[in-house]
Amino acid sequence: MSAPILSIKNLIVRYGSIEALSGVSLEVMPGELVALIGSNGSGKTSMLKTISGQMKAFSGDILFSGQSISGAPAHKVTGLGIAHCPEGRKVFATQSVEDNLLLGAFLRSRKETRKEISFEMDAAFEMFPILKERRHQLAGTLSGGQQQMLAIARALMSKPQLLMLDEPSMGLAPIIIDEVFSIIQRLRDSKKATVLLVEQLAFRALQVADRAYVLEQGHIRLTGTGSELLGHPEVRKAYLGNRAAKGDKNP
Amino acid sequence: MAEVLQLLISGVAQGMIYALIAFGYNMTFSTSKTINFSLGNLLMTGGVVGLLVYMNTKTGEPNGNSFFVALVAVVIVCSVLGALVYKVAVEPSVKRGSDFAWVLATLAFGIIVKNAVEQLWSTDDFRFSSPLGSEPLRIAGAGIFPQEILIIIVSILIVTAVELFRRKSILGKAIQAVSEDKMTAGLMGINQNFVILFSFMLSTAIAGVAGVLIAPLTFVSATMGTVLGVKAYGAAIIGGLESGFGMLAGGLLLGLSESLTARYISTGYKDTPGFVILILIILFKPSGLFGKKAIKKV
Repeated sequence: MSAPILSIKNLIVRYGSIEALSGVSLEVMPGELVALIGSNGSGKTSMLKTISGQMKAFSGDILFSGQSISGAPAHKVTGLGIAHCPEGRKVFATQSVEDNLLLGAFLRSRKETRKEISFEMDAAFEMFPILKERRHQLAGTLSGGQQQMLAIARALMSKPQLLMLDEPSMGLAPIIIDEVFSIIQRLRDSKKATVLLVEQLAFRALQVADRAYVLEQGHIRLTGTGSELLGHPEVRKAYLGNRAAKGDKNP
Repeated sequence: MAEVLQLLISGVAQGMIYALIAFGYNMTFSTSKTINFSLGNLLMTGGVVGLLVYMNTKTGEPNGNSFFVALVAVVIVCSVLGALVYKVAVEPSVKRGSDFAWVLATLAFGIIVKNAVEQLWSTDDFRFSSPLGSEPLRIAGAGIFPQEILIIIVSILIVTAVELFRRKSILGKAIQAVSEDKMTAGLMGINQNFVILFSFMLSTAIAGVAGVLIAPLTFVSATMGTVLGVKAYGAAIIGGLESGFGMLAGGLLLGLSESLTARYISTGYKDTPGFVILILIILFKPSGLFGKKAIKKV
Protein backbone atom coordinates (compact mmCIF):
# COMPACT_ATOMS: atom_id res chain seq x y z
CA MET A 1 0.00 0.00 0.00
CA SER A 2 1.42 3.37 -0.97
CA ALA A 3 1.34 6.42 1.25
CA PRO A 4 -1.80 8.56 1.26
CA ILE A 5 -1.71 11.62 -1.00
CA LEU A 6 -3.93 13.51 1.43
CA SER A 7 -4.11 12.83 5.10
CA ILE A 8 -6.18 14.88 7.51
CA LYS A 9 -5.60 14.47 11.19
CA ASN A 10 -8.00 15.56 13.88
CA LEU A 11 -9.06 18.69 12.06
CA ILE A 12 -11.01 21.27 14.02
CA VAL A 13 -12.47 24.28 12.19
CA ARG A 14 -14.47 27.02 13.85
CA TYR A 15 -16.54 29.96 12.71
CA GLY A 16 -16.28 32.12 15.80
CA SER A 17 -17.70 29.95 18.57
CA ILE A 18 -19.48 27.57 16.21
CA GLU A 19 -17.60 24.41 15.39
CA ALA A 20 -17.91 23.33 11.75
CA LEU A 21 -15.54 20.37 12.03
CA SER A 22 -14.86 18.75 15.38
CA GLY A 23 -11.84 16.56 15.01
CA VAL A 24 -12.14 14.96 11.59
CA SER A 25 -9.56 12.55 10.22
CA LEU A 26 -9.57 11.14 6.72
CA GLU A 27 -7.22 9.81 4.09
CA VAL A 28 -7.16 9.77 0.32
CA MET A 29 -4.90 7.33 -1.54
CA PRO A 30 -3.35 8.17 -4.91
CA GLY A 31 -5.73 7.37 -7.76
CA GLU A 32 -8.73 6.99 -5.51
CA LEU A 33 -12.09 8.67 -5.81
CA VAL A 34 -13.21 9.45 -2.30
CA ALA A 35 -16.65 10.88 -1.63
CA LEU A 36 -17.60 12.96 1.34
CA ILE A 37 -21.34 12.91 1.85
CA GLY A 38 -23.60 14.46 4.42
CA SER A 39 -26.50 16.83 4.76
CA ASN A 40 -26.47 20.62 4.60
CA GLY A 41 -24.29 22.18 7.26
CA SER A 42 -22.47 18.97 8.11
CA GLY A 43 -19.11 20.61 7.37
CA LYS A 44 -18.33 19.27 3.89
CA THR A 45 -17.59 22.60 2.27
CA SER A 46 -15.66 23.82 5.32
CA MET A 47 -13.46 20.78 4.94
CA LEU A 48 -12.57 21.55 1.33
CA LYS A 49 -12.10 25.26 2.04
CA THR A 50 -9.71 24.46 4.86
CA ILE A 51 -7.71 22.06 2.69
CA SER A 52 -7.38 24.63 -0.11
CA GLY A 53 -6.40 27.40 2.28
CA GLN A 54 -9.51 29.55 2.02
CA MET A 55 -10.18 28.95 5.70
CA LYS A 56 -7.82 28.48 8.61
CA ALA A 57 -7.97 25.41 10.79
CA PHE A 58 -8.29 25.90 14.54
CA SER A 59 -6.21 22.80 15.20
CA GLY A 60 -5.23 19.54 13.58
CA ASP A 61 -3.04 18.90 10.59
CA ILE A 62 -3.41 18.53 6.84
CA LEU A 63 -0.69 16.55 5.07
CA PHE A 64 -0.40 16.57 1.30
CA SER A 65 2.10 14.04 -0.05
CA GLY A 66 3.44 13.83 3.48
CA GLN A 67 4.03 17.56 3.79
CA SER A 68 2.00 19.76 6.13
CA ILE A 69 -0.01 22.39 4.24
CA SER A 70 -2.03 23.56 7.21
CA GLY A 71 -2.29 27.36 7.21
CA ALA A 72 -0.81 27.86 3.73
CA PRO A 73 -2.62 30.52 1.67
CA ALA A 74 -4.83 29.35 -1.22
CA HIS A 75 -2.47 30.36 -4.00
CA LYS A 76 0.37 28.33 -2.43
CA VAL A 77 -1.80 25.25 -1.98
CA THR A 78 -2.81 25.40 -5.64
CA GLY A 79 0.87 25.53 -6.54
CA LEU A 80 1.47 22.30 -4.66
CA GLY A 81 -0.95 20.42 -6.89
CA ILE A 82 -4.40 20.68 -5.33
CA ALA A 83 -7.20 22.04 -7.50
CA HIS A 84 -10.39 23.06 -5.77
CA CYS A 85 -13.48 23.36 -7.93
CA PRO A 86 -15.62 25.49 -5.64
CA GLU A 87 -19.27 25.20 -4.71
CA GLY A 88 -21.47 27.21 -7.05
CA ARG A 89 -18.96 26.85 -9.92
CA LYS A 90 -17.55 30.38 -9.57
CA VAL A 91 -16.45 30.78 -13.17
CA PHE A 92 -15.10 34.23 -14.06
CA ALA A 93 -18.31 35.50 -15.65
CA THR A 94 -16.86 38.55 -17.41
CA GLN A 95 -14.09 36.59 -19.14
CA SER A 96 -14.28 34.19 -22.05
CA VAL A 97 -14.35 30.42 -21.73
CA GLU A 98 -10.83 30.26 -23.10
CA ASP A 99 -9.57 32.89 -20.64
CA ASN A 100 -11.12 30.96 -17.77
CA LEU A 101 -9.17 27.90 -18.84
CA LEU A 102 -5.97 29.92 -19.19
CA LEU A 103 -6.50 31.25 -15.66
CA GLY A 104 -6.80 27.66 -14.47
CA ALA A 105 -3.26 27.20 -15.79
CA PHE A 106 -2.08 30.50 -14.29
CA LEU A 107 0.78 29.04 -12.28
CA ARG A 108 1.91 26.83 -15.15
CA SER A 109 2.06 29.82 -17.49
CA ARG A 110 5.08 31.09 -15.58
CA LYS A 111 7.19 28.03 -16.25
CA GLU A 112 5.66 26.40 -19.29
CA THR A 113 5.25 27.49 -22.86
CA ARG A 114 1.95 28.37 -24.41
CA LYS A 115 2.19 25.15 -26.42
CA GLU A 116 2.30 22.93 -23.33
CA ILE A 117 -0.71 24.73 -21.92
CA SER A 118 -2.67 24.50 -25.13
CA PHE A 119 -2.11 20.74 -24.99
CA GLU A 120 -4.25 20.61 -21.82
CA MET A 121 -6.69 23.04 -23.38
CA ASP A 122 -7.18 20.66 -26.30
CA ALA A 123 -7.66 17.79 -23.86
CA ALA A 124 -10.30 19.86 -22.05
CA PHE A 125 -12.05 20.61 -25.34
CA GLU A 126 -12.00 16.93 -26.19
CA MET A 127 -13.57 16.07 -22.86
CA PHE A 128 -16.08 18.92 -23.06
CA PRO A 129 -16.84 19.60 -26.73
CA ILE A 130 -19.43 22.22 -25.82
CA LEU A 131 -16.66 24.39 -24.37
CA LYS A 132 -14.79 24.32 -27.65
CA GLU A 133 -17.91 25.50 -29.43
CA ARG A 134 -18.25 28.37 -26.98
CA ARG A 135 -14.61 29.14 -26.40
CA HIS A 136 -14.95 32.85 -27.22
CA GLN A 137 -18.20 33.33 -25.34
CA LEU A 138 -18.23 35.03 -21.93
CA ALA A 139 -18.44 32.42 -19.19
CA GLY A 140 -21.33 34.27 -17.57
CA THR A 141 -23.52 33.57 -20.60
CA LEU A 142 -23.16 29.78 -20.32
CA SER A 143 -25.90 27.62 -18.85
CA GLY A 144 -25.44 26.21 -15.35
CA GLY A 145 -24.36 22.82 -16.64
CA GLN A 146 -21.88 24.32 -19.06
CA GLN A 147 -20.48 26.50 -16.29
CA GLN A 148 -19.99 23.39 -14.17
CA MET A 149 -18.11 21.69 -17.01
CA LEU A 150 -16.01 24.82 -17.39
CA ALA A 151 -15.27 24.88 -13.68
CA ILE A 152 -14.11 21.24 -13.77
CA ALA A 153 -12.09 21.80 -16.94
CA ARG A 154 -10.52 24.92 -15.41
CA ALA A 155 -9.51 22.99 -12.32
CA LEU A 156 -7.93 20.28 -14.50
CA MET A 157 -5.89 22.90 -16.39
CA SER A 158 -3.48 23.12 -13.47
CA LYS A 159 -2.68 19.39 -13.92
CA PRO A 160 -3.53 18.73 -10.26
CA GLN A 161 -2.50 15.67 -8.32
CA LEU A 162 -5.65 16.05 -6.24
CA LEU A 163 -8.92 17.41 -7.61
CA MET A 164 -11.52 18.51 -5.09
CA LEU A 165 -15.07 18.91 -6.40
CA ASP A 166 -17.57 20.72 -4.21
CA GLU A 167 -21.21 19.91 -5.00
CA PRO A 168 -20.84 19.58 -8.77
CA SER A 169 -24.53 18.69 -9.08
CA MET A 170 -25.82 21.77 -7.29
CA GLY A 171 -28.65 23.57 -9.05
CA LEU A 172 -28.48 21.44 -12.18
CA ALA A 173 -31.25 19.65 -14.07
CA PRO A 174 -31.30 15.85 -13.57
CA ILE A 175 -30.17 15.14 -17.12
CA ILE A 176 -27.17 17.45 -16.66
CA ILE A 177 -26.40 15.81 -13.34
CA ASP A 178 -26.14 12.50 -15.22
CA GLU A 179 -23.64 14.11 -17.54
CA VAL A 180 -21.58 15.57 -14.70
CA PHE A 181 -21.39 12.21 -12.96
CA SER A 182 -20.42 10.42 -16.13
CA ILE A 183 -17.56 12.90 -16.40
CA ILE A 184 -16.52 12.21 -12.82
CA GLN A 185 -16.63 8.50 -13.58
CA ARG A 186 -14.47 9.03 -16.64
CA LEU A 187 -11.99 11.00 -14.55
CA ARG A 188 -11.78 8.11 -12.13
CA ASP A 189 -11.43 5.47 -14.83
CA SER A 190 -8.74 7.41 -16.66
CA LYS A 191 -6.79 7.64 -13.37
CA LYS A 192 -5.81 11.14 -14.40
CA ALA A 193 -6.33 12.59 -10.98
CA THR A 194 -7.15 11.62 -7.47
CA VAL A 195 -10.57 13.01 -6.64
CA LEU A 196 -12.15 14.14 -3.40
CA LEU A 197 -15.83 14.62 -4.13
CA VAL A 198 -18.21 16.45 -1.85
CA GLU A 199 -21.82 15.81 -2.71
CA GLN A 200 -25.30 16.05 -1.27
CA LEU A 201 -26.66 13.53 -3.72
CA ALA A 202 -25.36 10.67 -1.64
CA PHE A 203 -26.66 7.89 -3.86
CA ARG A 204 -24.95 9.24 -6.98
CA ALA A 205 -21.73 9.94 -5.14
CA LEU A 206 -21.57 6.48 -3.57
CA GLN A 207 -22.14 4.88 -6.97
CA VAL A 208 -18.97 6.37 -8.42
CA ALA A 209 -16.80 6.47 -5.31
CA ASP A 210 -14.12 3.95 -4.36
CA ARG A 211 -14.51 4.89 -0.74
CA ALA A 212 -16.65 7.35 1.15
CA TYR A 213 -16.98 9.14 4.44
CA VAL A 214 -20.28 10.21 5.95
CA LEU A 215 -20.00 13.53 7.71
CA GLU A 216 -22.57 14.53 10.29
CA GLN A 217 -22.42 17.75 12.28
CA GLY A 218 -18.67 17.98 12.04
CA HIS A 219 -17.95 14.33 12.88
CA ILE A 220 -17.22 11.36 10.63
CA ARG A 221 -20.15 9.02 11.28
CA LEU A 222 -19.34 6.18 8.91
CA THR A 223 -16.74 5.16 6.45
CA GLY A 224 -16.38 2.35 3.94
CA THR A 225 -16.30 1.54 0.27
CA GLY A 226 -18.94 3.08 -1.96
CA SER A 227 -20.89 -0.14 -2.28
CA GLU A 228 -20.66 -0.95 1.44
CA LEU A 229 -22.18 2.37 2.32
CA LEU A 230 -24.82 2.06 -0.38
CA GLY A 231 -26.01 -1.01 1.41
CA HIS A 232 -25.64 0.34 4.91
CA PRO A 233 -29.08 0.63 6.55
CA GLU A 234 -28.26 3.83 8.40
CA VAL A 235 -27.03 5.54 5.25
CA ARG A 236 -30.05 4.35 3.30
CA LYS A 237 -32.39 5.70 5.92
CA ALA A 238 -30.71 9.03 6.48
CA TYR A 239 -29.48 10.02 3.05
CA LEU A 240 -31.02 7.93 0.33
CA GLY A 241 -34.68 8.62 0.98
CA ASN A 242 -37.54 6.26 1.69
CA ARG A 243 -37.64 4.53 -1.65
CA ALA A 244 -34.01 3.60 -1.37
CA ALA A 245 -34.54 2.41 2.18
CA LYS A 246 -37.20 0.03 0.88
CA GLY A 247 -34.70 -1.45 -1.52
CA ASP A 248 -35.43 0.45 -4.72
CA LYS A 249 -32.19 0.48 -6.65
CA ASN A 250 -33.02 3.62 -8.61
CA PRO A 251 -34.56 6.32 -6.47
CA MET B 1 -13.37 78.01 -36.15
CA ALA B 2 -9.65 78.23 -35.42
CA GLU B 3 -10.47 79.28 -31.90
CA VAL B 4 -12.83 76.34 -31.36
CA LEU B 5 -10.15 73.92 -32.54
CA GLN B 6 -7.70 75.48 -30.13
CA LEU B 7 -10.16 75.20 -27.24
CA LEU B 8 -10.99 71.61 -28.11
CA ILE B 9 -7.35 70.55 -28.24
CA SER B 10 -6.48 72.15 -24.92
CA GLY B 11 -9.68 70.80 -23.37
CA VAL B 12 -8.86 67.29 -24.55
CA ALA B 13 -5.26 67.59 -23.31
CA GLN B 14 -6.44 68.69 -19.86
CA GLY B 15 -9.11 66.00 -19.91
CA MET B 16 -6.55 63.33 -20.71
CA ILE B 17 -4.60 64.28 -17.60
CA TYR B 18 -7.75 63.85 -15.51
CA ALA B 19 -8.40 60.57 -17.31
CA LEU B 20 -4.92 59.22 -16.50
CA ILE B 21 -5.39 59.93 -12.79
CA ALA B 22 -8.94 58.60 -12.85
CA PHE B 23 -7.61 55.49 -14.56
CA GLY B 24 -5.44 55.00 -11.49
CA TYR B 25 -8.44 55.29 -9.17
CA ASN B 26 -10.25 52.74 -11.34
CA MET B 27 -7.29 50.35 -11.28
CA THR B 28 -6.92 50.01 -7.53
CA PHE B 29 -10.67 50.12 -7.02
CA SER B 30 -11.18 47.17 -9.32
CA THR B 31 -8.56 44.98 -7.62
CA SER B 32 -9.00 45.96 -3.99
CA LYS B 33 -12.15 48.13 -3.67
CA THR B 34 -9.93 50.88 -2.32
CA ILE B 35 -8.99 54.21 -3.87
CA ASN B 36 -5.61 55.82 -3.55
CA PHE B 37 -6.54 59.39 -2.63
CA SER B 38 -2.89 60.41 -2.54
CA LEU B 39 -2.68 59.99 -6.31
CA GLY B 40 -2.88 63.77 -6.95
CA ASN B 41 0.08 64.43 -4.69
CA LEU B 42 1.98 61.49 -6.13
CA LEU B 43 1.44 63.06 -9.56
CA MET B 44 3.22 66.07 -8.11
CA THR B 45 6.20 63.92 -7.09
CA GLY B 46 6.28 62.78 -10.71
CA GLY B 47 6.47 66.40 -11.81
CA VAL B 48 9.18 67.17 -9.26
CA VAL B 49 11.33 64.15 -10.12
CA GLY B 50 10.93 64.95 -13.82
CA LEU B 51 11.97 68.55 -13.16
CA LEU B 52 15.04 67.57 -11.15
CA VAL B 53 16.21 65.16 -13.84
CA TYR B 54 15.36 67.21 -16.91
CA MET B 55 15.72 70.85 -15.90
CA ASN B 56 18.35 73.07 -14.38
CA THR B 57 16.26 74.77 -11.69
CA LYS B 58 18.71 77.68 -11.37
CA THR B 59 18.60 78.77 -14.99
CA GLY B 60 15.15 77.47 -15.83
CA GLU B 61 16.54 75.72 -18.90
CA PRO B 62 16.86 72.00 -19.73
CA ASN B 63 20.08 70.60 -18.29
CA GLY B 64 20.84 68.31 -21.19
CA ASN B 65 19.41 65.03 -19.89
CA SER B 66 16.99 63.42 -22.30
CA PHE B 67 13.27 63.71 -21.63
CA PHE B 68 13.01 59.95 -21.89
CA VAL B 69 15.48 59.48 -19.02
CA ALA B 70 13.30 61.79 -16.94
CA LEU B 71 10.24 59.65 -17.73
CA VAL B 72 12.05 56.45 -16.72
CA ALA B 73 13.16 58.04 -13.43
CA VAL B 74 9.59 59.15 -12.75
CA VAL B 75 8.19 55.69 -13.44
CA ILE B 76 10.70 54.09 -11.07
CA VAL B 77 10.27 56.58 -8.22
CA CYS B 78 6.49 56.62 -8.51
CA SER B 79 6.17 52.81 -8.63
CA VAL B 80 8.09 52.65 -5.38
CA LEU B 81 5.84 55.33 -3.87
CA GLY B 82 2.80 53.37 -5.08
CA ALA B 83 4.08 50.26 -3.31
CA LEU B 84 4.75 52.34 -0.21
CA VAL B 85 1.27 53.87 -0.07
CA TYR B 86 -0.23 50.38 -0.33
CA LYS B 87 2.03 48.89 2.35
CA VAL B 88 1.77 51.84 4.75
CA ALA B 89 -1.72 53.21 4.26
CA VAL B 90 -3.93 50.59 2.64
CA GLU B 91 -2.85 47.11 3.64
CA PRO B 92 -2.85 47.71 7.42
CA SER B 93 -6.34 49.19 7.38
CA VAL B 94 -7.72 46.42 5.15
CA LYS B 95 -6.04 43.76 7.30
CA ARG B 96 -7.70 45.10 10.42
CA GLY B 97 -11.02 44.74 8.64
CA SER B 98 -11.71 48.47 8.55
CA ASP B 99 -13.95 49.51 5.67
CA PHE B 100 -12.91 53.15 5.56
CA ALA B 101 -9.62 53.72 7.36
CA TRP B 102 -7.82 53.61 4.00
CA VAL B 103 -9.67 56.77 2.94
CA LEU B 104 -8.07 58.84 5.68
CA ALA B 105 -4.80 56.95 5.51
CA THR B 106 -4.28 57.57 1.77
CA LEU B 107 -5.37 61.21 2.11
CA ALA B 108 -2.88 61.61 4.95
CA PHE B 109 -0.15 59.94 2.92
CA GLY B 110 -0.72 62.51 0.17
CA ILE B 111 -0.58 65.42 2.61
CA ILE B 112 2.62 64.06 4.16
CA VAL B 113 4.21 63.77 0.72
CA LYS B 114 3.17 67.31 -0.19
CA ASN B 115 4.46 68.79 3.08
CA ALA B 116 7.67 66.80 2.85
CA VAL B 117 8.32 68.21 -0.63
CA GLU B 118 7.63 71.73 0.65
CA GLN B 119 9.90 71.29 3.68
CA LEU B 120 12.75 69.41 2.08
CA TRP B 121 12.74 71.00 -1.34
CA SER B 122 10.91 74.22 -2.08
CA THR B 123 7.60 76.03 -1.93
CA ASP B 124 8.26 77.87 -5.21
CA ASP B 125 6.87 77.32 -8.68
CA PHE B 126 9.34 76.10 -11.29
CA ARG B 127 9.21 76.36 -15.04
CA PHE B 128 9.38 73.08 -16.95
CA SER B 129 10.13 73.48 -20.62
CA SER B 130 8.38 71.25 -23.08
CA PRO B 131 10.72 68.84 -24.89
CA LEU B 132 8.94 69.96 -28.05
CA GLY B 133 9.49 73.67 -27.46
CA SER B 134 7.05 76.34 -26.35
CA GLU B 135 6.38 77.88 -29.77
CA PRO B 136 2.67 77.29 -30.62
CA LEU B 137 2.04 75.35 -33.81
CA ARG B 138 -0.17 77.08 -36.35
CA ILE B 139 -2.76 74.57 -37.46
CA ALA B 140 -5.65 75.92 -39.56
CA GLY B 141 -5.10 79.31 -37.98
CA ALA B 142 -5.24 77.96 -34.44
CA GLY B 143 -2.30 78.22 -32.05
CA ILE B 144 -1.70 74.87 -30.42
CA PHE B 145 1.07 74.05 -27.95
CA PRO B 146 3.08 71.03 -29.10
CA GLN B 147 2.99 69.80 -25.49
CA GLU B 148 -0.80 69.49 -25.75
CA ILE B 149 -0.39 67.20 -28.74
CA LEU B 150 2.23 65.21 -26.81
CA ILE B 151 -0.14 64.85 -23.84
CA ILE B 152 -2.91 63.53 -26.07
CA ILE B 153 -0.66 61.06 -27.91
CA VAL B 154 1.10 59.72 -24.82
CA SER B 155 -2.16 59.40 -22.88
CA ILE B 156 -3.80 57.47 -25.69
CA LEU B 157 -0.75 55.21 -25.86
CA ILE B 158 -0.85 54.58 -22.11
CA VAL B 159 -4.58 53.88 -22.01
CA THR B 160 -4.36 51.55 -25.02
CA ALA B 161 -1.34 49.72 -23.62
CA VAL B 162 -3.01 49.20 -20.25
CA GLU B 163 -6.24 47.97 -21.84
CA LEU B 164 -4.32 45.56 -24.09
CA PHE B 165 -2.36 44.36 -21.09
CA ARG B 166 -5.57 43.77 -19.14
CA ARG B 167 -7.20 41.82 -21.95
CA LYS B 168 -4.36 39.93 -23.60
CA SER B 169 -1.70 39.07 -21.02
CA ILE B 170 -2.15 36.34 -18.46
CA LEU B 171 -1.25 38.74 -15.65
CA GLY B 172 -3.88 41.17 -16.94
CA LYS B 173 -6.44 38.38 -16.93
CA ALA B 174 -5.37 37.50 -13.41
CA ILE B 175 -5.98 41.12 -12.38
CA GLN B 176 -9.47 40.90 -13.90
CA ALA B 177 -10.03 37.64 -12.05
CA VAL B 178 -9.04 39.20 -8.72
CA SER B 179 -11.38 42.11 -9.31
CA GLU B 180 -14.20 39.73 -10.08
CA ASP B 181 -13.74 37.13 -7.34
CA LYS B 182 -10.77 37.17 -4.98
CA MET B 183 -11.48 33.79 -3.39
CA THR B 184 -11.69 31.92 -6.67
CA ALA B 185 -8.70 33.80 -8.08
CA GLY B 186 -6.75 32.43 -5.12
CA LEU B 187 -7.79 28.91 -6.11
CA MET B 188 -6.25 29.52 -9.54
CA GLY B 189 -2.95 30.14 -7.77
CA ILE B 190 -3.14 33.91 -8.17
CA ASN B 191 -1.56 35.78 -5.29
CA GLN B 192 -4.06 38.56 -4.74
CA ASN B 193 -1.74 40.59 -2.52
CA PHE B 194 0.73 40.76 -5.37
CA VAL B 195 -1.96 41.74 -7.87
CA ILE B 196 -3.23 44.52 -5.62
CA LEU B 197 0.31 45.79 -4.93
CA PHE B 198 0.96 45.77 -8.67
CA SER B 199 -2.19 47.80 -9.36
CA PHE B 200 -1.05 50.44 -6.87
CA MET B 201 2.40 50.61 -8.44
CA LEU B 202 1.11 50.82 -12.00
CA SER B 203 -1.51 53.46 -11.20
CA THR B 204 1.00 55.63 -9.35
CA ALA B 205 3.55 55.33 -12.15
CA ILE B 206 0.91 56.48 -14.64
CA ALA B 207 0.00 59.43 -12.39
CA GLY B 208 3.70 60.35 -12.22
CA VAL B 209 3.93 60.36 -16.00
CA ALA B 210 0.82 62.56 -16.08
CA GLY B 211 2.66 64.94 -13.74
CA VAL B 212 5.56 65.27 -16.17
CA LEU B 213 3.19 65.68 -19.10
CA ILE B 214 1.21 68.52 -17.53
CA ALA B 215 4.27 70.28 -16.03
CA PRO B 216 5.18 72.35 -19.13
CA LEU B 217 1.61 73.74 -19.28
CA THR B 218 1.42 74.67 -15.62
CA PHE B 219 4.39 74.95 -13.31
CA VAL B 220 6.00 72.43 -11.04
CA SER B 221 5.29 73.02 -7.37
CA ALA B 222 4.42 71.04 -4.27
CA THR B 223 0.76 72.00 -4.67
CA MET B 224 0.38 71.20 -8.37
CA GLY B 225 -1.34 67.84 -7.82
CA THR B 226 -3.88 68.49 -5.09
CA VAL B 227 -6.62 70.05 -7.22
CA LEU B 228 -5.90 67.72 -10.15
CA GLY B 229 -6.41 64.73 -7.87
CA VAL B 230 -9.76 66.04 -6.61
CA LYS B 231 -11.03 66.91 -10.08
CA ALA B 232 -9.92 63.56 -11.48
CA TYR B 233 -11.93 61.90 -8.72
CA GLY B 234 -14.92 63.90 -9.95
CA ALA B 235 -14.18 62.65 -13.46
CA ALA B 236 -14.01 59.07 -12.16
CA ILE B 237 -17.41 59.41 -10.49
CA ILE B 238 -18.91 60.94 -13.64
CA GLY B 239 -17.56 58.17 -15.85
CA GLY B 240 -18.30 55.36 -13.40
CA LEU B 241 -15.47 54.07 -11.22
CA GLU B 242 -15.82 50.51 -12.47
CA SER B 243 -15.26 51.27 -16.13
CA GLY B 244 -11.94 52.03 -17.81
CA PHE B 245 -13.75 53.64 -20.71
CA GLY B 246 -15.77 55.71 -18.26
CA MET B 247 -12.54 57.24 -16.92
CA LEU B 248 -11.71 58.49 -20.37
CA ALA B 249 -15.20 59.86 -20.92
CA GLY B 250 -15.35 61.53 -17.49
CA GLY B 251 -11.92 63.10 -17.92
CA LEU B 252 -12.68 64.47 -21.37
CA LEU B 253 -16.08 65.80 -20.31
CA LEU B 254 -14.47 67.67 -17.44
CA GLY B 255 -11.52 68.96 -19.49
CA LEU B 256 -13.69 70.20 -22.35
CA SER B 257 -16.28 71.80 -20.10
CA GLU B 258 -13.48 73.72 -18.38
CA SER B 259 -11.82 75.02 -21.51
CA LEU B 260 -15.10 75.99 -23.19
CA THR B 261 -16.55 77.67 -20.09
CA ALA B 262 -13.33 79.57 -19.48
CA ARG B 263 -13.49 81.04 -22.98
CA TYR B 264 -17.21 81.65 -23.50
CA ILE B 265 -18.40 82.47 -20.00
CA SER B 266 -15.62 83.36 -17.61
CA THR B 267 -12.43 81.78 -16.33
CA GLY B 268 -13.82 82.27 -12.84
CA TYR B 269 -16.66 79.87 -13.63
CA LYS B 270 -14.62 77.25 -15.48
CA ASP B 271 -15.04 74.62 -12.77
CA THR B 272 -18.78 75.12 -12.40
CA PRO B 273 -20.14 72.94 -15.25
CA GLY B 274 -17.98 70.03 -14.12
CA PHE B 275 -19.43 70.14 -10.64
CA VAL B 276 -22.96 70.60 -11.99
CA ILE B 277 -22.48 67.47 -14.11
CA LEU B 278 -21.05 65.66 -11.08
CA ILE B 279 -24.04 66.57 -8.92
CA LEU B 280 -26.50 65.57 -11.65
CA ILE B 281 -24.72 62.23 -12.06
CA ILE B 282 -24.79 61.57 -8.33
CA LEU B 283 -28.49 62.42 -8.24
CA PHE B 284 -29.69 60.54 -11.29
CA LYS B 285 -27.09 57.91 -12.20
CA PRO B 286 -24.95 57.24 -9.14
CA SER B 287 -23.08 54.39 -10.83
CA GLY B 288 -21.71 56.89 -13.38
CA LEU B 289 -22.14 57.15 -17.12
CA PHE B 290 -20.52 53.79 -17.88
CA GLY B 291 -20.56 52.16 -14.45
CA LYS B 292 -22.33 48.93 -13.69
CA LYS B 293 -25.25 49.12 -11.34
CA ALA B 294 -24.10 48.18 -7.89
CA ILE B 295 -26.19 45.19 -6.96
CA LYS B 296 -25.27 43.85 -3.59
CA LYS B 297 -26.31 40.29 -2.96
CA VAL B 298 -27.13 39.69 0.66
